[in-house]
Amino acid sequence: MAWFSFLAALIPLDGYGHYLHWGVINISVANFIVIVLMVVTFIAALLLPFPGRNRRKESK
Amino acid sequence: MSSKAFRPDVDAPEWKGGHSPYDIIKEGTIALVVVGLLTVILATLFGAPDDHEITIKNWANAAPTDFAMTAINEMNGTTTTAGYGAPYNTASDGQKLGPLTLAKWVGVRIPINTEQDFVLGPLESLPYNAQLSSALSTWKSASTSQQTTWVNNYTKADSTMTFKNGQIAVNASNAGPVPVFINDLTAMARSGALDTALVQGGNFFSMDYTKPLLFLSDGGYLAQLAEKQHLLGSQWGMMNETNSYPGQAWLWLYTFWYQVSPFSTSANADVQVWATMMLLSVILLFLPLIPGLRAIPRKVKVYRLIWREHYRN
Repeated sequence: MAWFSFLAALIPLDGYGHYLHWGVINISVANFIVIVLMVVTFIAALLLPFPGRNRRKESK
Repeated sequence: MSSKAFRPDVDAPEWKGGHSPYDIIKEGTIALVVVGLLTVILATLFGAPDDHEITIKNWANAAPTDFAMTAINEMNGTTTTAGYGAPYNTASDGQKLGPLTLAKWVGVRIPINTEQDFVLGPLESLPYNAQLSSALSTWKSASTSQQTTWVNNYTKADSTMTFKNGQIAVNASNAGPVPVFINDLTAMARSGALDTALVQGGNFFSMDYTKPLLFLSDGGYLAQLAEKQHLLGSQWGMMNETNSYPGQAWLWLYTFWYQVSPFSTSANADVQVWATMMLLSVILLFLPLIPGLRAIPRKVKVYRLIWREHYRN
């Protein structure tokens, strides 16, 4: 119905998915992106300094 | 008094350094706001998967001969459901783990006689129709061996099945009332009445779709649609979502086992994969008690990266 078309997604993902194959591994591009983002978040959590670190240093 | 030796795998040294204040409420609030905003932004950008449900009505209209072929197979007992064993019937031992007949031990909890529940029962629920009523009477008054002969004769000829002008036709001889059953069941399915007849409970709020789902999965139509969407078990389907949406990536290990031998070729893959995952879960649960494995974090030293400032000093 047209009246709720404003609720439609700006970037619709309704087309058939794309898949990556490496031997036995078969993964959708969408899942691959999510996994890469999780790994990047994990590495960032390891490497980025804790927020407020300088404040704590000064107060010591 | 002798003190016990320090065991690096098990013991933690007493902390003698300073302490920093930590506001868990503030951190929780920030996390809630950030995740809430991300949810709204991502939902606005990408929406959510919203595929229409697949019904028996869709199936019988899109592929009437596949439906009719499945219906005769429900009568001759050659579908997956008919031969599955527990919890639906006693046709086989069901899923086994070596000598352990796990499914059989659970027993027939959802009894399904595919011939009666998927074909004859729904036909009996239709409003009066002289031809169908006569066919059902003929069936009921026949001996079991006569019924089997009729079904087998129809099955032998099912390669000649055609669908024309809304009718299923098969060039079968001595098939008794079976052609009427299959044709009327197909018409019933195409009208949507079979979807309603197969839902258990018989009231408006019933949510038990076991029978229609089993019937659908016995045919070729559902598998064909699933294959297009990469949702089959052999396509890592457990971790995929419809269309281009990300799916359940965290199920990668569970679905991985289905892709490799011996699970990929085993008739008991479901219970074997479940048992493998249970074993790995138990190992994870008791990790702090397993020498060698529990030393991995200490040896890998990722903690030194997190607390690098402390270790630098």
